[in-house]
Amino acid sequence: MSSLLGDLLGLGAGGALTHKAYEDIGAAGDTARQELTNLAGTMEQKLGFKPYGITSATGGQFNVTQGPDGQLSTSMQLSPQEQALYEQQMANAGMFFNQAAMPTDQREQEVYNRMRAAQSPEEERQRLALESRLYNQGRGGVRSAMFGGTPEQLAMAKAQAEQRDKSMLAAMQFAGQEQQRQAGLGQGMLASAYVPQAQLLAGLQPGMNAAEQARINQAAAAQAYGETYTSGLDALLQSRMSQANLASSLGGGLMSGSLAGLFS
Amino acid sequence: MAQELKSINLVAPAFKGLNTEDAILAQDPSFAEVANNAVIDRRGRLATRKGIANLSTTITALDGEPVTGIHVFRDSDGNTDTFSVGNNKILRGQAVLVDYTPVAYTITSDDWRMVNFNDSLYFFQRGYEPLVYSHSTSLVEPMSTVAGAAGVTSAMYGNEVIGAYGRLWTADFTGDKSTIYWSDLLQGHVWSGGSSGSIDVSEAWPQGFDQIVALAAHNDFLIVLGTQSVLVYAGAEDPTTMTLSDTITGVGCVSRHTVQSTGSDLVFLSHSGLRSLGRTIQEKSASIGKLSSSVTSDIIAVIDNETEEFDSAYYPEQKFYLILFRNQCKIYCFDTRGALENGAWRATYWPDSPIKALYAGDRISGDMLIGYAGGIGKYDGYTDDGSAYRLKYRSPELSLGDTAQLKFIKKIRPTLVGSTGQPIVLRWGYDFDSSSGSASFTPAASGVSEFGIGEFNIGEFSSGQLAIRKSINANGSGSTLSVTLESDVNGNELSIQEINMLLLTGRSL
Repeated sequence: MSSLLGDLLGLGAGGALTHKAYEDIGAAGDTARQELTNLAGTMEQKLGFKPYGITSATGGQFNVTQGPDGQLSTSMQLSPQEQALYEQQMANAGMFFNQAAMPTDQREQEVYNRMRAAQSPEEERQRLALESRLYNQGRGGVRSAMFGGTPEQLAMAKAQAEQRDKSMLAAMQFAGQEQQRQAGLGQGMLASAYVPQAQLLAGLQPGMNAAEQARINQAAAAQAYGETYTSGLDALLQSRMSQANLASSLGGGLMSGSLAGLFS
Repeated sequence: MAQELKSINLVAPAFKGLNTEDAILAQDPSFAEVANNAVIDRRGRLATRKGIANLSTTITALDGEPVTGIHVFRDSDGNTDTFSVGNNKILRGQAVLVDYTPVAYTITSDDWRMVNFNDSLYFFQRGYEPLVYSHSTSLVEPMSTVAGAAGVTSAMYGNEVIGAYGRLWTADFTGDKSTIYWSDLLQGHVWSGGSSGSIDVSEAWPQGFDQIVALAAHNDFLIVLGTQSVLVYAGAEDPTTMTLSDTITGVGCVSRHTVQSTGSDLVFLSHSGLRSLGRTIQEKSASIGKLSSSVTSDIIAVIDNETEEFDSAYYPEQKFYLILFRNQCKIYCFDTRGALENGAWRATYWPDSPIKALYAGDRISGDMLIGYAGGIGKYDGYTDDGSAYRLKYRSPELSLGDTAQLKFIKKIRPTLVGSTGQPIVLRWGYDFDSSSGSASFTPAASGVSEFGIGEFNIGEFSSGQLAIRKSINANGSGSTLSVTLESDVNGNELSIQEINMLLLTGRSL
């Protein structure tokens, strides 16, 4: 009677141990899933984007931020001096471009007028000299169908007309060249307006390198953490599995022995 | 004891012509105090001028008015046409004066200037459209109607015109006395375009202001004669480059009609007397007129009285220059054979002349044409178209070396040449009284030959000049004396060869 009871108790204990081993193995899987899930969250946090900003030596700033929706946004901010320079140069560039875009006829006239203003005194001196010479020769009042006045007056008038023609062409040429020069200046001004920005962008590279290095380091740390964590978890699961296997082996032996006793 | 008669010979008296400036005191018998209607003949004697030989038979177009301008036009075929102006008409012809005034062309003044140029005759008068007689059309027509005419505007209706250096030159316009216009080359009717032009000389006058009176071309110069100054332009072949070569101050011209070229010089009447351009340029002076210095005061007085027009002629065949004062019917004749010691030309005076126009520009015929009430005549014969004129000679006051001694003229023995049948009056006077005594005589007509009959039975000598020697008894006395000889010239010449006087001298006063 006692052996049966023992066999029954042994069978029951073996079954209970096996059941417990079974439950422990399931609990180990749940624990592994839960821990890995936690690890994933931790890794996500560890490997997630970290907003950063760069400030140039001249005060310009470059910032990278992440919105609530996870979207990244960057912003650059020039220093006040750079901003002022940028605005000034932009205004200058606009002015030169506007001037370059203007019709040249008015400018031609202005240039022509200035050239004539420079030439006129000498022409007037020459005219007075001729007038004086003609007067002394008693020819001041000559009017002819061939020349209008005297041949000398015609020659002078032709020379002055040629000079005026040359001045007009030179004024046109000058105005065209000036237009090109203004366009070039506009381009130069425009380029110089973007120099602060370009310099800010140029200054961004070292900052970005540093950020990248930080990110790499962070990734490596996260990876090491994950790996360490999973190793720990793996060891935990392994021990849990070993415990379960031990309980299962013990339960199975009890049960096998009990069963063998019952049926023996 | 009876005093011997002194013989005083006035040989060729007045051969220096008229002298009203200083003859009275100079007491030079070579001058004359009066020399009316006389010339200095080729022998140096005072002789009667020639008269007017009428050439016109039909003068109805004149309607009693005189011819006041004459010009002879010789065309490229060698034909000669005489044009004249008078009675406000343009007339053509000599024997028959035909009215050639263009239709519907109104003329109220006959002060035309006529000039031959490039086979046409041009008529210019201030304020009138110039007229053109063209050889090709044989018509006188307004310039603007001539084929190809251009630039004919009232601005160039000049009073003076000359043809020189291949162009017509005109000046003296209504309201513009300082501009000279020149025509296109060889086209006297083209005044715009081509090489035509103008010059305003208002700034060239040496005194600051003057007015153009006349133009002349002389010695390759364009001469611009103002009222008080003269401009000399060189290089007028190209008017646009011609230059003022010289100016003369204080000598001007009274009328464009007084300017005459003598070939080697240019003669014109200034307000100070008759002037020679060459001498004026040399001397650069404004002294009283050299050529007329023996009659300057008379000339100036006549000019001052003159309100109408002048005319003049240089007549090389007779070697004199005539200046006509038309309104006053006076002519001064200047002998151009030679000058006196002071540079003056020998002058005579033709008063009360019927002559109204002179023209001696026709070198081929050699005639000097005369305009007068009878139409056109020529300087020929010894009547003014049938009318006698009076020759008058008066010597200057002669003291014969001593003004303080009385002189008694006993005889006057003139030696005259010609003047047959014409009464001659001889007068003598003392102490500036020209008519103390007189005598008249009439030389016999010279109808016979010098030798009574023709030497070879032909009248070879029958028309020879008669030498008249007449002895006139004179009387009276005075410290100075003068002799006057007068004669009505009516068909015969009269020359004063010599006047011989026999006289006694008396006490000293």
